[in-house]
Amino acid sequence: MTLSAPRPIIALRDVQKYYSDYHALRGITAEIQQGEFFSLLGPSGCGKTTLLRTIAGFEDVSSGTVHIDGKDMDGVPANVRPTNMVFQSYAIFPHLTVAENVGFGLRRAALSRTEKAAEVDAALKMVGLTGYGGRAAHALSGGQRQRVALARALILKPKVLLLDEPLSALDKKMREQMQIELRRLQRQVGITFILVTHDQEEALIMSDRIAVMFEGQIAQLASPQQLYRRPISRQVAEFIGVMNFLPVQVLGENGGRVQLNVAGLGACEITAEQCPSGVQIGAASVGLRPETLTVLFEGEVARGRELLGRVEEVQYFGDMTSYEVSLPDVARPVSISMRNLVGRQVLERGAPARVAWEEGALVLFC
Amino acid sequence: MKALKLYAVGYLVFLYAPILLLPLFAFNDAKVISFPLSGFTTHWFTEMTKIPALYAAFKNSLTIALCAALISTILGIFAARAATRFSFAGKGPIMGLIMLPLVLPDVIVAISLLVVLLQLGIALQTWTVIMGHVLICLPFSIAILNAAFQALDRSLEEAAIDLGETRVSTFRLVILPLVMPGIISSLLIAFTISFDEFIVSYFLTGSSPTLPVYIYGQFRYPAKVPVIMALGTLLVLGSFVLLSIAEYFRRRGIKRRGGQDTGGFL
Repeated sequence: MTLSAPRPIIALRDVQKYYSDYHALRGITAEIQQGEFFSLLGPSGCGKTTLLRTIAGFEDVSSGTVHIDGKDMDGVPANVRPTNMVFQSYAIFPHLTVAENVGFGLRRAALSRTEKAAEVDAALKMVGLTGYGGRAAHALSGGQRQRVALARALILKPKVLLLDEPLSALDKKMREQMQIELRRLQRQVGITFILVTHDQEEALIMSDRIAVMFEGQIAQLASPQQLYRRPISRQVAEFIGVMNFLPVQVLGENGGRVQLNVAGLGACEITAEQCPSGVQIGAASVGLRPETLTVLFEGEVARGRELLGRVEEVQYFGDMTSYEVSLPDVARPVSISMRNLVGRQVLERGAPARVAWEEGALVLFC
Repeated sequence: MKALKLYAVGYLVFLYAPILLLPLFAFNDAKVISFPLSGFTTHWFTEMTKIPALYAAFKNSLTIALCAALISTILGIFAARAATRFSFAGKGPIMGLIMLPLVLPDVIVAISLLVVLLQLGIALQTWTVIMGHVLICLPFSIAILNAAFQALDRSLEEAAIDLGETRVSTFRLVILPLVMPGIISSLLIAFTISFDEFIVSYFLTGSSPTLPVYIYGQFRYPAKVPVIMALGTLLVLGSFVLLSIAEYFRRRGIKRRGGQDTGGFL
């Protein structure tokens, strides 16, 4: 027997979705692995929720196929698919208690009353709501409703758990706490989670892999690190974090090295790996993340190369400071973020700034 | 400000004083409706129970009101569900047509119904009155039920389906319990409207009149007026109790869903 590659729990092949005259999904092809925490990330209207609802069975595909655990889901209604969903509004049944909500999916299960009660208790314990079973659903706080929705969806042990912007209704503190908890829960149950979010930070923190979607298409499907460090297009780079773009002339390519002339930075050489969208001779742009640039203070020596600029704007965040620095021969000031280490001063507006940069941090967009 | 307050009080007295006269003369020991009052009696209430025609009219009204309430509520459920969940061609005009009897003069509705029935050669019977009453009650039922269905989060249905239920069992397990207060409220209000309705009943009644029609007929005989006063007292009391119950269920429905109260009948 040979070791076969792990079978994807979800396989999407050229999924298209039309709403009368609106093309919501334009050929989605992707595979999601068993046990993965997978995120669909994109701005509102990019089709991420439509794709999630297509997997759940609430929307039909116009063409293409959705396979879940090897089975074609064509014509399989939502109520028999091995998926469960946590809705954006949580959709807690307001006329039922917490325990009745959590046990709702067990109604058709061949279990005795005591077995069902035990399952409900276990599910409530899993989400940290032990003892809440008898409460009325409408008396819960946002965070508690979220947990009830999770317990209710997980009690059926689905092959895939679908989460539709589950954290967007929570305040910042609660959201950050739930991000950690969701990730822990996912590892604990080992179920594949598919999360829909427009919050890039949330996707980066929680996911094993992220599909960035624009206008009904997947722009890039990669790990959080890959996505952040090697975005495939300017659009992806701009959506995930902040990136400075500089105009560049691509001069040539040989032996896996690419020669560039970057506006303001001068001639330099990068590796082919820094060109995720390929190499074309001619005008293009390069990107630099704010944290890959460094403002040098007295006595510090650049690790890479050095320029002299001027501080145009300062934003102090406490743990870090963000500068806008104008560089000679660069049209727009670049953003530079610096950690506020002990003894490191904060430059003032108008002050001259020595800026260090490294060739290795550049990403080429052709 | 003081003048406005005075106006408000005067207005309320003007509105409700006549109704307050009903119990006053119902318990008055005189055959003539006039001041001064002559003494206390419950004679008119006992007298009331001795009139077979009144009893028949009451039973007739009860049957008609029950049927009209049931039919208009059931039709209202379909219409409200369709109006809140689906979009279809001509939805606006269709809903407008259904709500039209709300603003049409009842006498016009009654006459046109009568003309149609006579042209079709249909004899006036109890069910023709029921039909007319459904037409009058339906806008009220839909208004109440629309609000109940509107307040329903669509993802609740999807959640139930996602958890393994079919569309039919979802309706039974999730939608029906959540709109039940609205249904009860619609039943009670339609019942009250039908029970009190006069004009349509007057035109469409065959040989057996409804209670309001019977009452109107009795005013020709001065001797019967005190009995009518007694009957009227009971009717006002009944309407008041039914509307209170309807409002109670409407409010309870909102509270159960944890929603905000946005108007109502009381």
